[in-house]
Amino acid sequence: MSDLIVEATGLEKTYPVRRGEPVHAVRGVDLDVRAGEVFGLLGPNGAGKTTTVRMLATLTAPTAGSARVAGHDLLREPRRVRERIGYVSQAGGVDETVSGRENVVLAARLHGLSAREAARRAAELLEVFALTDVADRPARTLSGGQRRRFALAIGLAHRPELIFLDEPTTGLDPRNRAAFWQEIRGLRDGGTAVLLTTHYLDEADALADRLAIVDHGRVVAAGTPGELKRRVSGDVITLRVPAADAEPASRLLAAQPYVREVGGDGGGLRAYVGDGDSALPALLRAIEEGGLRVEAISLRRATLDDVFLRQTGRSLRDAA
Amino acid sequence: MIKDVRLLFAHEVRGSLRNPFWLLFGVVQPVLWLVLFAPLLDGLMPGGSALRDFTPGALVLIALSSGLSVGYGMLARLRAGVLERLAAGPVSRAALVLAPALRDMVVLVGQAALLLGLAALMGMRANPLGVALTLVLVAALGLLSATLSYALALTARDENGLAQLNATLYVPMLLLTGIILPMALAPGWLQAIAAANPLYHAVEAGRALFAGDFRDGSIPLALALTTGLALLTLRWAITSVRRLAA
Repeated sequence: MSDLIVEATGLEKTYPVRRGEPVHAVRGVDLDVRAGEVFGLLGPNGAGKTTTVRMLATLTAPTAGSARVAGHDLLREPRRVRERIGYVSQAGGVDETVSGRENVVLAARLHGLSAREAARRAAELLEVFALTDVADRPARTLSGGQRRRFALAIGLAHRPELIFLDEPTTGLDPRNRAAFWQEIRGLRDGGTAVLLTTHYLDEADALADRLAIVDHGRVVAAGTPGELKRRVSGDVITLRVPAADAEPASRLLAAQPYVREVGGDGGGLRAYVGDGDSALPALLRAIEEGGLRVEAISLRRATLDDVFLRQTGRSLRDAA
Repeated sequence: MIKDVRLLFAHEVRGSLRNPFWLLFGVVQPVLWLVLFAPLLDGLMPGGSALRDFTPGALVLIALSSGLSVGYGMLARLRAGVLERLAAGPVSRAALVLAPALRDMVVLVGQAALLLGLAALMGMRANPLGVALTLVLVAALGLLSATLSYALALTARDENGLAQLNATLYVPMLLLTGIILPMALAPGWLQAIAAANPLYHAVEAGRALFAGDFRDGSIPLALALTTGLALLTLRWAITSVRRLAA
């Protein structure tokens, strides 16, 4: 018995295209999600995050690869998997023809709870998500934030061991986002494993116990946010230099003993250093002695974007 | 599966009862036909049987027009991610189309009863057993048109595409039923095409039943044809749901 709730090996998904090259949405993804943790899939739009989650949630069959989800083989026992997972898509899946409460109750009953248990469970979830006051309104009259919370409540109706959240905070305002993060942490504290996709760096950083960075259908890096950032380096010094000076400046930076790595171009040269506070003055002196001009310079801590940048050569902000 | 159908059916009915106006709108069009068009036929067919001959046609008309529109509801549900969310659970795939189709069937029979009441008020006299059997036929037509609409919607997955398919289906289906003018007036080739239209046989059967002419061959033909086709379209709709979320 392993404590892994998701164990995926070599997942691939290729969509045939009429009169054209097939689209490789996912090109071989390995994932290990531990029971009870929040696992993030971070990547730009089109990286294959949603397709990966849809495969793991039994909604689309992988072209290749295999996975065990919640203790059952994805391909051989999809029904067993479906009994144990919750799935909240980007669209949410709240049925607007009835009330939010009826949505939650129906979800619970389809998972085998009795009418009484389903009603009790719905009341409990609506209380947790502060939805009791709007529970009986037609779902179509709800605000975006309320709808998101209902979607989450529906996904949790049957107490799944694992819940998939696809871009859970896209389109939410900052206040609702912060509240939603709190709710996701609450899930983990209650023992539910969460696999969420996001293209927000701060979201992955703040929520995920561990994460995988995906790009073009592949995992390019995986680990805890701290590990990933340490792997890049501690701090990043960014310099803007005239285009003509980019080449010599890059060479000069690379020659400094405290610079671990150099990236970018004249528009933004990046020097990855261990300790930025002491490296910055030394770097400025070196530039002056080298007779190079600097238009702007800044120092910041490494972020997950730097991890993405180093792995793919692009910024996640631009890639999205 | 039966439990899933029951739960989802109850859910569908609750949704319909929350928006009851739309149920009434479905009858408006055939009521207009009954009130504004049937009197014209009186002039063509003296003897007072015009209303009795037209009413079965009006019933088939609601089966066609309200049946073909249910696919839009399925598309709205698809867009909202409801189908996908349900499919990620252990729910029977067949129940996902069967439950709404059964709701549509019940709604259609209700609308048909309303229309029959109105026709009776307007002075229509018909064989009561024949009317009851016609309602059974209407139920089968409801299953056929609803599951056809769900299958088309889930195959096209696009509101505009569905609208065009519906418009293309609606006109020949309507003209070739003999609802507006009797097919007896048509040239031989047109009658031959009409014979391939299941709705034509349904109208013929309805007329025979209303007249109390139970030995008319169109009755078993219409019932068998409609039920058989309904089972085929149901299967198609279930296959489309499966394809959507394996």
